[in-house]
Amino acid sequence: MNRDTASGSLPSGVLPMLWRRFSVRHALQSPLQSVLLVVILSLGVGVFFAVRLANRAAVASFQNFTDLITAESDGLIAAPSGTLPETVLTELREALADEAIQIIPVVETTATLPRVSDDEAIGSRSTFQVLGLDLIAVQNLADRRPANRQWLANPGAPSGGEPDASDLRVQARRLWESFRDPHSVFVSPRLAIRRHLVPGQEFPLVLNEAIVPLRVAGIIPTDPGQPEAPAELLVMDLPAAQQWSGWTGRLSRIEFVLEEGPDREGRWRRIRETLERLALRGPGGMAAADGTSLAPRWLVGSPADRRQSGEVMTRAFRLNLTILSMLALVVGVYLVFQALDGAVVRRREEIAILRSLGIPPGLIQRAWLGEAALLGLLGGSVGLMLGWIGAQGAVRLVGKTVNALYYATSAEQASLHPGEALLALALAVLTSLIAGWLPARAAAETPPAQSLGRGHGTTFTGPLWLQRTGWAWILVVLGVALLGVPPWRPEAGFRVPIAAYGTAICWTLAAGVLGGAFLQGLAKVLAWPALRVSHQPVIRLALSVLREPTGRHRLAVAGLVCAVAMTGGMAILVGSFDTTMRGWIERTFQADLFLSSDGAQSASTENRISPETWRGIASHPAVERAQVIQASRLQLPDGETMLVSSDLAFFRDHAKPAWRQAPQDDRVFDPRRNGSMALVSEAFSERFQKVQGDRIRVPTPVGMQDLEIAGVFSDYGNERGSILVDRPQFVRWFGHELASSLILVLRPGSDIEGVRAEFRSRHPGLAVFTQSYLRAEALRIFRQTFAITYALELIGVTVAVAGLAFTLISVLWERRGDLTTLRALGLTRFELAAAAAIEGVVTALSGVLTGIVASLGLGWVLIHRVNQQTFGWTLETDWSWDRLVLLGLMVIGAAALAAWGAGRWGSRLPAEREE
Amino acid sequence: MTPTPAEIPPTLLRAVGVGRSYAGRAVLKNVSFELLAGERLALTGPSGSGKTTLLNCLGGVDRPDIGRIELGGVALETLDGDALAAVRRRRLGTIFQFFHLLPTLTAAENVELPLQLNGVPTEERMERVRYLLERVQVSHRADARPSELSGGEMQRVAIARALAHRPELLLADEPTGNLDSRNGDNILRLLQELSDETGTALVLVTHSPDAAAICHRELLLRDGEIVGETVRLRP
Repeated sequence: MNRDTASGSLPSGVLPMLWRRFSVRHALQSPLQSVLLVVILSLGVGVFFAVRLANRAAVASFQNFTDLITAESDGLIAAPSGTLPETVLTELREALADEAIQIIPVVETTATLPRVSDDEAIGSRSTFQVLGLDLIAVQNLADRRPANRQWLANPGAPSGGEPDASDLRVQARRLWESFRDPHSVFVSPRLAIRRHLVPGQEFPLVLNEAIVPLRVAGIIPTDPGQPEAPAELLVMDLPAAQQWSGWTGRLSRIEFVLEEGPDREGRWRRIRETLERLALRGPGGMAAADGTSLAPRWLVGSPADRRQSGEVMTRAFRLNLTILSMLALVVGVYLVFQALDGAVVRRREEIAILRSLGIPPGLIQRAWLGEAALLGLLGGSVGLMLGWIGAQGAVRLVGKTVNALYYATSAEQASLHPGEALLALALAVLTSLIAGWLPARAAAETPPAQSLGRGHGTTFTGPLWLQRTGWAWILVVLGVALLGVPPWRPEAGFRVPIAAYGTAICWTLAAGVLGGAFLQGLAKVLAWPALRVSHQPVIRLALSVLREPTGRHRLAVAGLVCAVAMTGGMAILVGSFDTTMRGWIERTFQADLFLSSDGAQSASTENRISPETWRGIASHPAVERAQVIQASRLQLPDGETMLVSSDLAFFRDHAKPAWRQAPQDDRVFDPRRNGSMALVSEAFSERFQKVQGDRIRVPTPVGMQDLEIAGVFSDYGNERGSILVDRPQFVRWFGHELASSLILVLRPGSDIEGVRAEFRSRHPGLAVFTQSYLRAEALRIFRQTFAITYALELIGVTVAVAGLAFTLISVLWERRGDLTTLRALGLTRFELAAAAAIEGVVTALSGVLTGIVASLGLGWVLIHRVNQQTFGWTLETDWSWDRLVLLGLMVIGAAALAAWGAGRWGSRLPAEREE
Repeated sequence: MTPTPAEIPPTLLRAVGVGRSYAGRAVLKNVSFELLAGERLALTGPSGSGKTTLLNCLGGVDRPDIGRIELGGVALETLDGDALAAVRRRRLGTIFQFFHLLPTLTAAENVELPLQLNGVPTEERMERVRYLLERVQVSHRADARPSELSGGEMQRVAIARALAHRPELLLADEPTGNLDSRNGDNILRLLQELSDETGTALVLVTHSPDAAAICHRELLLRDGEIVGETVRLRP
């Protein structure tokens, strides 16, 4: 015998041997169960991974496109609201004359392909980002970077191959002529491949209100070290972009690229100080006496800030989606637990023998935890594959929501990200380990074989807290207390409803515990009439078991309660959203026709309608009243928001806003008295913590405006919030009348469809929607944002029912001695299966009833805390009883089938030899 | 002839005043006895007399409420769970009424398991498994799973497994209780032979007078107390 073990320690190879000879062999002996378990775990991991990749793709598509042309700029300036006047370029060139720096003026706008059919869905066409660049400045840059030279010297040819000098001159002239043509555009290589575009080819794009025929001047080359330009990027000369976007003489931003040289950081710091000083000077070059009363003309930032803004904007949305996707993992924990626990029950004899042979409890526990980790690893690996495939579909769903609520994203593909893959895999293993902890402990506590079958600790009691309802009531009270805690605000403009999530967790756990107690009570209540009405042994048998439910029954109920509560809670939230949105849409869309640029396919569209066009439309004889909406992005110290303007009296009369805080009087609706007043959306109020009567300072091109909040209205259009002012103020501040949209009330008796058709034919670059169409589309877009939640709900319920089946299998295995006795007493297999089915149905009924009660609480928390604190949207509560009843029936029906299957399996078990 | 002190084997197991109760009912009361190395001891008595409880206490699976049990001079009550596991792994072998072979392992693998747990090198392990399976006459079923073996074959494999690591003490709980009389007789003969060959002490719980007859000594238990002792042979 090996003397190394004389001290009593085990040789190192025992643990792998246990896995090899026991875990693996058991898995191979029950391949269906093993595969099922891996698949379910992989579904949880897959959903999480898919959502994370899709989120990442949607955020990654929001980038600083200019970087792709200039390599990375060192800094940029942009107006806090609206655009910059082109005249600042002269000012900047003078101020920075001594600096070795390239100044790149940029106009950025959006465009789409013309619509193919008249009834296409909003958002169905890709949005292109159109960059207008001073190509001379870009050429200067390119001259300093040999890798970029070929693009400018040889338009149309992808990089590769060095042109000779005479060719260069000819091509440079052609290039120059090509640049000056306002119809010239450079397209990305991906777009060229996708749409079979070659230099010289024409293709139309909707820019503002016009369908503009553009010609491919060349293909944007890929600079070594830079990512390839995305398919949706188009580049044109600055004056052309200004012309088509309606921003003649204006710039979206100005970027700065420092010449190569030492101390780049120090030079940029110096330039930044100069830029910040210049920003506070008035157009005449005089510093204001009171610097604070003058709005900075621009804000200095970096490309990194800009890249991050997409991430910041969608942070709350992505956080919620991630939390939702983790629900699938949580229910995965439950299922893995049930499966491993069942395995402990079935393999108790094996464990007991191993204990008898001298394997210590700690090693048994480690072996089981290792088995759980292996399961997590396998499930996680399959989940990564499923998730990557799922991400390709999810990226479209997420992209559509981001498009509708935040900014244009045309992400169509999610790329594999090693960090996310590792995170998902680690979560899978961690999930399995958490789920495997109790079964592993139960395995370790299994007595050696000598004690088996003699009544010493062989019944699973489950965790003690599951049997003590006192804890549950404490959790309920704690949940109530947490409702009073405000959201966590890690930074300005961003809040996380941590306390509300805490309430949801407390109540879900409490409901799980109380469900077990309810099962006992329910069985007793049902037993009374059942045993008097029927003398069927099957019913007696099933109910007698549940009058003293085991720890395993309680856990099954807890799992069902969690799944039903979460699914029901989500159903109530979605139902409330639906009801609220329908009400809001019906109130808001009261007018007859709604016009916008046909290129407006996302929330961040820059497309506008010119004053000439909207005036012409507004003066149409059929139009009784026209409402012009103008809007500008607004950068406040605490985050980005929107400044919107319209006729406030029209807004009150025709949009019929739902007031969260109604104006105290009519001053805000009177153009003669509302010069320093504004209305704000509820999302703005929640996000920036401003309420009626507070004052807000809004930077505009003519200085800082001090506005009093006269009222707060509900708006479900975006979660960034908006400030609404009367249009004359907006025009005075921004100096233009470009409209974002136009709302028309037609004269009574007008042929709405006829007028719409007339406007469509006269202005093919405009989208003209009727009230009913726009209502239907708004509802469709909203419902589409919830598509992913339905899939997650389905997974949750499926897993819970599968968990119940696992539980019943374990319970029956534990009672196989009783089954032997019952068979000996003459019960048929059908009767045994029926008894198990009744046991399953009553267990499920208990889980469903408790779960539905819990879902009412969870739904309330989701609506009035999580949603309200995250997005700032107050919703009308719709308890969605029809959905809850349907959910309950589905779970009970599925549970009955699963229990019947388990019963059939149990009735075929071999006789318990030890009894 | 009375053996001289030099010929008397040393005491392997000593139980002193052992008592055990379950739910207020005394199952063992003040049980004391000694077992010499290589000695075979039968524990007999009616159902509920405390035989199996005593066997569990001797194997360190159950702990007496009072009294002490020493195995080779080591007091079992002083050992924690891991140390007791080490005692079972190295010094004890156990045979069960229902064989308790591991269903995922073949007959040979079942016998090999205790040797693996004790870190016996592969070559030596294989040799010992082969020898034991031949010795218990099931070498032709070495690759069979327990579900493919007959009751007699299963118990032979279980005996081989219990003796594989050369334990000092073999605990057997009704080893023939689940076998027909022919198979039972064969198993008893095998146990006797192997115990003699290896010098392994045996504590045998049984109802069967035939089984008790292979032992040197028999303790009769009733209501948790030793009420009689029969000495047949000295080892």
